[in-house]
Amino acid sequence: MNDYILNPPPLPPSETPDPSPAPPPPPVRSIFGAIEALVRRPDSMPQVLSEVGVGRVLGWMLTVILGCGLIYGFIIGTFSGHEQLWRAPIKFTGGLLFAGAICLPSLYVLSCLGGSRASLAEVSGMLGGMLALMTLLLLSFAPVAWVFSQSTESLTAMGFLHLVLGSVGLLFGLRLLVRGLQRFRARSQAGLAAWMGIFVLVVLQMTTALRPLIGRADTFLPTEKRFFLQHWGDCIRGKYSKQAATLEPGASAAAPSRQ
Amino acid sequence: MNSTLTWRDLPVLLSGDDTRLGHWTTRVTGGSIAVSIALVIVGAGLGGGAMGAWRSPEQALVSAIKLPLILLLTTLGNGLLNGLLAPLLGLNIGFRQSALAILFSFAIAAVILGGFSPVILFLVWNLPPMSLAESRTTGYAALLVSQVAVIAFAGVAANVRLLRLLQRLGGRRVGWRVLFAWLSGNFLLGTQLTWIARPFFGAPDLEVQFLRSDALRGNFFEAVGHAFSVLFSL
Repeated sequence: MNDYILNPPPLPPSETPDPSPAPPPPPVRSIFGAIEALVRRPDSMPQVLSEVGVGRVLGWMLTVILGCGLIYGFIIGTFSGHEQLWRAPIKFTGGLLFAGAICLPSLYVLSCLGGSRASLAEVSGMLGGMLALMTLLLLSFAPVAWVFSQSTESLTAMGFLHLVLGSVGLLFGLRLLVRGLQRFRARSQAGLAAWMGIFVLVVLQMTTALRPLIGRADTFLPTEKRFFLQHWGDCIRGKYSKQAATLEPGASAAAPSRQ
Repeated sequence: MNSTLTWRDLPVLLSGDDTRLGHWTTRVTGGSIAVSIALVIVGAGLGGGAMGAWRSPEQALVSAIKLPLILLLTTLGNGLLNGLLAPLLGLNIGFRQSALAILFSFAIAAVILGGFSPVILFLVWNLPPMSLAESRTTGYAALLVSQVAVIAFAGVAANVRLLRLLQRLGGRRVGWRVLFAWLSGNFLLGTQLTWIARPFFGAPDLEVQFLRSDALRGNFFEAVGHAFSVLFSL
């Protein structure tokens, strides 16, 4: 009896057949296919780039970034209304593309230093995919952001919410970038980790360099140069209020004046 | 395997693939030299331009010319010394090969500097003007720290790749010895050339000049010694 318990008879072969290998993903032929690949198969970006062509994929990614970015920017602008309805979309989308453009050379250099054999065009395609995924996610957050923008008066709370939503989008975007660049035979990820830090800093500084994104101001761009932590500190201390905006024409950020 | 470095080999050069680098170094070709020099001019030019951009566009242009010039003059000026030191320390390569190996490392450093120049320019764009009193402290410190970090990273990355190449050509210990000897010579000449070519950032109360009228007065080590004496007298 004990022997039976310790050495049970071998199990009969399984009746269920082995699961057949997953069918190969359908080829990407349109922008919608590219979006599906971004969301469902983020690891396949390098394959998509080589099959479809970097120029074409980059064009699609740019379309996604512009479309989703402008819509999310509009949602940011709905907090203050007025001129922010057109200013915020332009600043948000332009700022994101500008941040990507100025960080592209360092991404290429650092990925090469890590042993990746990706060309500059392929790295551009991966970066485009990262920004596209980020803006897609932000677009999916747009209803949440809009509800909050219509129900709160606090500039700081809205800023914090957009920061959290942006961080989630950025996190998924960076994950896509890391996984994609790994496919290009990169030996080390240290350079890429350093680049991520630089990119995050540039994006955060962009929120101050292009301020106000949420509140209102007399001028399209700020007249005073500031570091983002300084500016955020002032926002938290309540420096940018409705009164401050009235007293200081050209103030860098102001509270909403919703009618 | 392609025997000449081309633009398309930039990822290979940056990744420090010692097999390919060794191949290019042992078969010195005009194409490899030309591409390396071009990388130094473009990369260090962009890095220098970002350095001087805070002062004025003129200073950016002047710094963009001076920085690659220093790297190329250091390679040229120490060519004979480095070519002699390598066989003396056990590495059997010729003058042209040693010069090309050093040029490769400068090209890697220059490409890194160039790659980070848009980020440095973005930093400059976000700094208050140099003419403001507050900029003399915080702005200058922010730019200086960022530049030092980028230059240090570029230098370390380039020399790690040069070390790998030297170790492949001559073995582990010989590689270290030759790298140390080359770095010492290049440091001596490079710092003095940089001293002569100062300023790179520029100063708001001094007009932009390619070389100062007192360019050849003093040297880098005297200045460092003076700074130390001031520091300790405080």
